Amino acid sequence: MPIAGTYGYGGGPGGSGPAGSGGVGGANNFTPSVSRIRRTNNVATAQVQQLATQLADQIVREREIATIQARNGRVFTTFNPADDVLPNRVETVTRGLFSDGSGSMLSFFTSSTATTAQLSYFYELFDKDPDTVNNAAPMLSIAYGHFNGSGSTDTTGNLNNDTPSRAVYKQYAQTLLAPNDNKFTINGTDTDSIYALTFNRARFREKLDPGNFEINLSAPYISIIDDSSVSSATEGEAGKVYNLISGSIDGGTSIYNSADPTYYGLLYPQHGIAILNADAINSAGIFTPATGTSEGTPDNRALLHTALKSGSTNAPAGKTGGIQARSSEQVKSTYFFVRVKNAEYNYSNNPSFSSGSLGALRYATFVNDPQVYITSVGLYNDRGELLAVAKLSQPLLKAFTREALIKVKLDF
Amino acid sequence: MGYLNNSTITVDAILTKRGRELLARGRNEFNITQFALADDEIDYDLYNTEHPLGTAYYGSAIENMPVLEALPDETQMMKYKLVTLPKGTANIPVVSIGQSAISLENGQSYVIRPETVNFSGGNSRFGYTAILSDSDVGTISATRSAPNRSAIASAPQFIGDGEAAQSITVAGVEFEFVAKPQLLADATATILLIGNETGGRTTLTVTVKKVQVMTAAAISK
Repeated sequence: MPIAGTYGYGGGPGGSGPAGSGGVGGANNFTPSVSRIRRTNNVATAQVQQLATQLADQIVREREIATIQARNGRVFTTFNPADDVLPNRVETVTRGLFSDGSGSMLSFFTSSTATTAQLSYFYELFDKDPDTVNNAAPMLSIAYGHFNGSGSTDTTGNLNNDTPSRAVYKQYAQTLLAPNDNKFTINGTDTDSIYALTFNRARFREKLDPGNFEINLSAPYISIIDDSSVSSATEGEAGKVYNLISGSIDGGTSIYNSADPTYYGLLYPQHGIAILNADAINSAGIFTPATGTSEGTPDNRALLHTALKSGSTNAPAGKTGGIQARSSEQVKSTYFFVRVKNAEYNYSNNPSFSSGSLGALRYATFVNDPQVYITSVGLYNDRGELLAVAKLSQPLLKAFTREALIKVKLDF
Repeated sequence: MGYLNNSTITVDAILTKRGRELLARGRNEFNITQFALADDEIDYDLYNTEHPLGTAYYGSAIENMPVLEALPDETQMMKYKLVTLPKGTANIPVVSIGQSAISLENGQSYVIRPETVNFSGGNSRFGYTAILSDSDVGTISATRSAPNRSAIASAPQFIGDGEAAQSITVAGVEFEFVAKPQLLADATATILLIGNETGGRTTLTVTVKKVQVMTAAAISK
């Protein structure tokens, strides 16, 4: 029992109190024995701990050696999904919408190969002359629409208003407006007369980039931008909708008369379509669209075409002019972190790395200090099939004194 | 005082034809689990151990070289893979089959038992990939599988459009080639053997002789 009492007061064999201090509950003649037992116990515990530590170190060392040896003779390294793979990162990528990644379109050409029927509905605009330049590509089309079919000729001869302008208006209204809405409403007012600028789908990819859109018309010179810098988009049947108002993005976004800007139309980024209110253009004094049952000379599409060209050539100092736009798309990427430790990948199967049929290293210095150069990273599945490959811009030296971390980005 | 170089090399990967195929197929078949490194376009002859400016310039001709773009054809990429070996290694593991060319008659077979020299136990788990370039010349099959049967490496071998459809790829540790009858002329094909672990490779050229058909006059003699 004294021993038990000693343990009871002394905190047990693992206690850290001074030897003998735990014998409160025991008789004096037991104290030396108790102290000895405690000291012995402490020594034994320390020895056990030391041995356990040694054993653990040995196990860890053996495992490390086994891991290193397992890597030897291998060309593949398995990714650790938790540490090495960053899946499905979504990034928004924007770029200039026009040829060669340009953000501006300053020339507006039409093609002589367009048929009369096509021209009665829309003009396709190129940034280079398609009649003389081989790589001219269409950037956008412009069409005039009128709710009642005004400003164009009835092509069927039925005289029941089957005009291209009416078809165009109905087509865009059907595409962009809610089912019970049949007129475009700009700044609270329904408008019968519109221009539709439809950008080439391959150009705007997923959507036009709001905040980086400007149309310039002349004369007189007006500059139109979307209002995404000051207002949230309206969520409509056709996705997000922004107002097109007077302003400029040259040198930073600025809205002209921001308290009461002029409203020129609507921007549907997800459709790549800008709707301009022809009445607002008329009010600005740029041109007056033809009305009635005749096309007018020039026709309404040609009037806008001329105004766009003039908006580029007559741009005042400090203004880019023309049309400025960017495309925007979300790209899903997975990142693979390729970690190459110092002891890994220091030899090569490249035939020029060795000489002779026995695989002897080409240079004697390579025996203790091999130098190889990484040019390619291959990503494989479990079956060893090469699914993706990346190349470095320059060969990367790898040796026993070097480690490498290569981040491989795979877009989907 | 200078800044430490804290840059991480970032590279963009492209999908190979096989990668696109598996991605299009869906069903989670596109699953990247491992990587390998290669130095395909490096000629170590450019490594100049006699450079007058010293050791720091031995590899300058290689290091300054621009690298070509990646190709989607997996048979053209990752041909020469880097391999992990113990320090002090003097010889690269070599895949060996004893000879480089054989000649067979119609119906004859030849057993191929690849070995990996210079590295004990090399390719013993995943075995080898054998690629017969032209199935019109013969057939090839694995007569002994590797312990890990799932491994079939991509075929990093230029086969060409015409032959690609006729190539045969199998994996194992022992293979058998059986010659097909050649009625018009001798036919030749190659069997490329690649170590699925060490990455080493060797080629066996197989010639199958034209079938000799005796005429009636020859029989009467």
